[in-house]
Amino acid sequence: MKRIAIVNGVRTPFIKAWESFDTIPAHQLGALCVTELLQRTEFDSRLVDEVVMGCVGQPAEAANVARVISLLAGIPQEKRAYTVGRNCASGFEAITSAAEKIQCGVDEIVIAGGTESMSNMPMLFKKETATLFLKLSKAKTILQKLKIITKMRPHHFAPTPSLVLGLTDPACGLNMGQTAELLAKDFGISRAEQDRFALESHRRAEISKDKLREETMDVLVPPDYKVCVRDDNGIRKNQTYEALQKLKPIFEKHTGTVTAGNASQITDGACVLLIMPEEKAKQLGYEALGFLRDYLYVGLEPARMGLGPAIAIEKILRRNKMSLKDIDLFEINEAFAVQVLACLRGLASEEFSKKHFPSGIPVGEIPLEKLNVNGGAIALGHPVGTSGARLVLTCLKEMKRRSLRRGLVSACVGGGQGAALILER
Amino acid sequence: MTAHIHLKEEHGIARIEFDHPEKDVNLLDTVTMLQLQAVLYAVQKRTDLSAVLVTSAKPKIFIAGADIHEIENLTEREQMIEKAEKGKAILRMIADIKVPTIAVINGACLGGGFELALACKYRVASFSDAVKIGLPEVQLGILPGFGGTLRLPKLIGIVKALPLILTGKVVGAKEALKSGLVDRLFPEKTIISQAIEFAKAIVSGPEKVMRQPLPWFFEKNPLGRMLVYHTAKKNALKKTHGFYPAPLKVLEVIRKTYGLSVDQGSRIESEGFADLAGTEVSKCLIRLYFLNERYKKFPWTDLKLGPEPVLQAGVIGAGVMGGGIAQLLSNRNIPVRVKDINTEALGGALREAYRLYSESVRRKKMKPFERDRKMCLISAGLTQEGMRRSGFIIEAVVEDLGIKQKVFRELSEITGPRTILASNTSSLSINEMAKGTLHPERVIGLHFFNPVHRMPLVEVIPADVTSQETIERTVQFARRLGKTVIIVKDVRGFLVNRILAPYLNEAGLLIEEGVSPQRVDSVAKRFGMPMGPAELMDHIGIDMACKVAHIMENAYGERMKMASILEVLKEKKYFGKKTGFGFYHHRGKKIEPNPSIELPRSLRVISDEEILKRLIYSMINEASRCLDEKVAKEAGGVDIGMIMGVGFPPFRAGLLRYADHMGLGSVVEDLSRFSGGANGVRLVPSPYLVNLAKNRQTFY
Repeated sequence: MKRIAIVNGVRTPFIKAWESFDTIPAHQLGALCVTELLQRTEFDSRLVDEVVMGCVGQPAEAANVARVISLLAGIPQEKRAYTVGRNCASGFEAITSAAEKIQCGVDEIVIAGGTESMSNMPMLFKKETATLFLKLSKAKTILQKLKIITKMRPHHFAPTPSLVLGLTDPACGLNMGQTAELLAKDFGISRAEQDRFALESHRRAEISKDKLREETMDVLVPPDYKVCVRDDNGIRKNQTYEALQKLKPIFEKHTGTVTAGNASQITDGACVLLIMPEEKAKQLGYEALGFLRDYLYVGLEPARMGLGPAIAIEKILRRNKMSLKDIDLFEINEAFAVQVLACLRGLASEEFSKKHFPSGIPVGEIPLEKLNVNGGAIALGHPVGTSGARLVLTCLKEMKRRSLRRGLVSACVGGGQGAALILER
Repeated sequence: MTAHIHLKEEHGIARIEFDHPEKDVNLLDTVTMLQLQAVLYAVQKRTDLSAVLVTSAKPKIFIAGADIHEIENLTEREQMIEKAEKGKAILRMIADIKVPTIAVINGACLGGGFELALACKYRVASFSDAVKIGLPEVQLGILPGFGGTLRLPKLIGIVKALPLILTGKVVGAKEALKSGLVDRLFPEKTIISQAIEFAKAIVSGPEKVMRQPLPWFFEKNPLGRMLVYHTAKKNALKKTHGFYPAPLKVLEVIRKTYGLSVDQGSRIESEGFADLAGTEVSKCLIRLYFLNERYKKFPWTDLKLGPEPVLQAGVIGAGVMGGGIAQLLSNRNIPVRVKDINTEALGGALREAYRLYSESVRRKKMKPFERDRKMCLISAGLTQEGMRRSGFIIEAVVEDLGIKQKVFRELSEITGPRTILASNTSSLSINEMAKGTLHPERVIGLHFFNPVHRMPLVEVIPADVTSQETIERTVQFARRLGKTVIIVKDVRGFLVNRILAPYLNEAGLLIEEGVSPQRVDSVAKRFGMPMGPAELMDHIGIDMACKVAHIMENAYGERMKMASILEVLKEKKYFGKKTGFGFYHHRGKKIEPNPSIELPRSLRVISDEEILKRLIYSMINEASRCLDEKVAKEAGGVDIGMIMGVGFPPFRAGLLRYADHMGLGSVVEDLSRFSGGANGVRLVPSPYLVNLAKNRQTFY
């Protein structure tokens, strides 16, 4: 097996939806990012075989958004590109899919990552309304047209945000937030614990501002190009526990614990990485940022999708004959504070282990000082298709800074999946 | 005599096929026209033909027009009228053919070529991008003399015909179909066979060609037509400032011949043609046309290099010039990385590019997606990242030799030895910049003019160490950007600004002598300059003008001693347009006199003639020194430079053409008269100029 090198990567700052990046569609965010990656790596784009991008809400005007990005970024048109989807793990999927292509010898050099503009997820009409519009466009006479128009009612024009639909699991009927509430009840995780975890995420991200700058690029915002976005804007300076406590639960009005403060933010952003076999990187004179050692995806109960990381982490450690001690740094995507906390509990719990792990033995406690050391999606935001790539980049950069050997990144996936990747240097 | 035209026949359908034996293009020169006449006699005699096609054997070219050399050589009015009449008589033979006639337009169909197509009953064209249809005669100062002004208005009406003929605009296949210039479009590969099928279908009946009806109001009643003529005239005058007689003459001919048959109007058109072909303006425009053609392909080096695609270009410095260059590069689909130490400057460059593209979108020359795609080609950064992957880097930082030297040294250290490092300096020494760099043989000057997207000229300035390969690759690169190149020596101001400097300075001195800026400018504008010298300095910025003037004074001494008024304005912070005050008071787009400029009372009466001569002759004088010092290779280079770089009036064919036209003897005499006294050595004619005049030679 060839070892897969991640040569370098870059991302846009993560910006809260409907703010600075409101006018930049996902394909442009992705193109900005790929272009910047090519500059930072001084890479000859004629050597890129393929661009693979994760994107959950692909723009209607840019189907196969990876291909659009590839062309916009000036990669030669003979090169290939495709878009992958595994919900919140789409960014991982792009990277692992690239690794698979390289292992098979189909591709040698791939740019992989994710892009998401949650600001630009469309508002949808009901099917009923769409049918009326279709009939209207087919109607020939004015009389026929009038007839259809008289059938239209105000409720026909109430749009459904596709963002809400996208965050709802059609198999179990629950919204992602509701699956998180379920875990709070299962594990008895209090609102206070969740808020403290959220506070820590903000605190760490704020301290790490300069470190995070090493992975972000400047974005001059069109069409005025007067604003230069340099930093993630989800981090709340001086966030207090008291302020978090004041927020109202979103998903369960009276009994809920999940608030806007202890859940990940709705965010725009893109992130890409340059991936190739270790040998190729050496040959081109690159010192790789790190390597992808192993990865896997697991499936689980959709209503408890938040436990995906626990299941995936146990499995990947077992496969690599490793224990938590062998891992120097962890990143678990903070979809919800409660969901990360539930995973930590689960990994350490006898009861949970008996139920979920073949060995029946707990994996152990992940030390908090090794987990999400620069904050996570609660502070930085969670552009769904992008986050996986961001976690890999953030983890590798931190491993480099601390001269660490091994990192493990993981995320829960809506629809009931989990992902885990082991990175090494 | 070799055949220029072949007559072919198949199933009763005749094909008149043009194939110029000596040229890559088909031209309607005298020989071709005579052969066409003979072929048409033969066709006329045939009674068994069902249709006649006019085709071309040249790929991507139908008929490119008349032979411009022949037009240039016409001297006598009668000769000119006869040429036009003769041409029309031959084309009339096509129009008189009873069976359907079809012009099969597979490529360039211009001028006389299009007039021939108009004489056919039907026109079909291919979908190819090579199809270019139009009557560009006015651009050579003449009018379409083979019936174009008569037949085109009949075909598509005056509302659509006037703009085409008056501006000489050339259109592509789709637009030609839309506006009714052609009747059908076919794929390039099958155009001839489909044209034959089309002919058969017309003959046998099922195929009917419907032409758009002409709007009643503007075409069919005199009042509406008057309105159309009036608007056309207004637009033409606005565009030509009255310097170019051709559009007005076209308008006159079309008015006079409206409603007349082609036969009846024939003489009027031919006379109009002769009126124009005899003018100095037309002769000048034709000379300029040839000069242009020469410089488009001028072999500056002996090297023949294959095309070398640049992965990306780099631009250092995101000021007005750097930003303009970045936009130009992206517009030519070259990815570009712009580096500046200042984020606001980078934003400004992107904003300006976006504005230019949006302007194209507004004028429907570009779709929004094209703008967004081109904008994606420009990336910006604060570090040198991306420069190593750039094959061609253009430096456009502040005009400070120390800073530029540092930029070049750093760039040379991080880039491969084949990366060309070009400077867009307008005044500093390329030789100095090459010093201290690694592989200095790839350092070169590449001087763009402002605004970059509009000015068609670049000066290429090799340093002494610059390699031939670097020169050739730079020329190629500049041509890929659509620019015309002149190679000039590394002297201060290079060619164009060196010649322009005495002109601007002279304007300053005239103002010091009591002539108002408005008067100086109006004299220059009446001569045909697009902008007067005082207004131009306001545009450049008085501070910039001062800076350059100092450099010129240092380099050339006494004769370029800076007019002190510049310093005075600079002291008062009258920096020109950007600050609102300079020689003028700028209010938005309006300009008014600057009330705080106090002119001294004039010691003597200075005539408009003196103003003009001092302005223009000081440039001629400096140009002659440039030729003497071989800053430019030949007079043609000077003329191309001054027309394309600073807008010297094209209808005068160039600065040195103008000098030749005035007579070098009289230029020397006038200069000698102006020099001496307070003017000192400034206007003393150069030895080179004196010598030419003495030997009764000319620049050309």
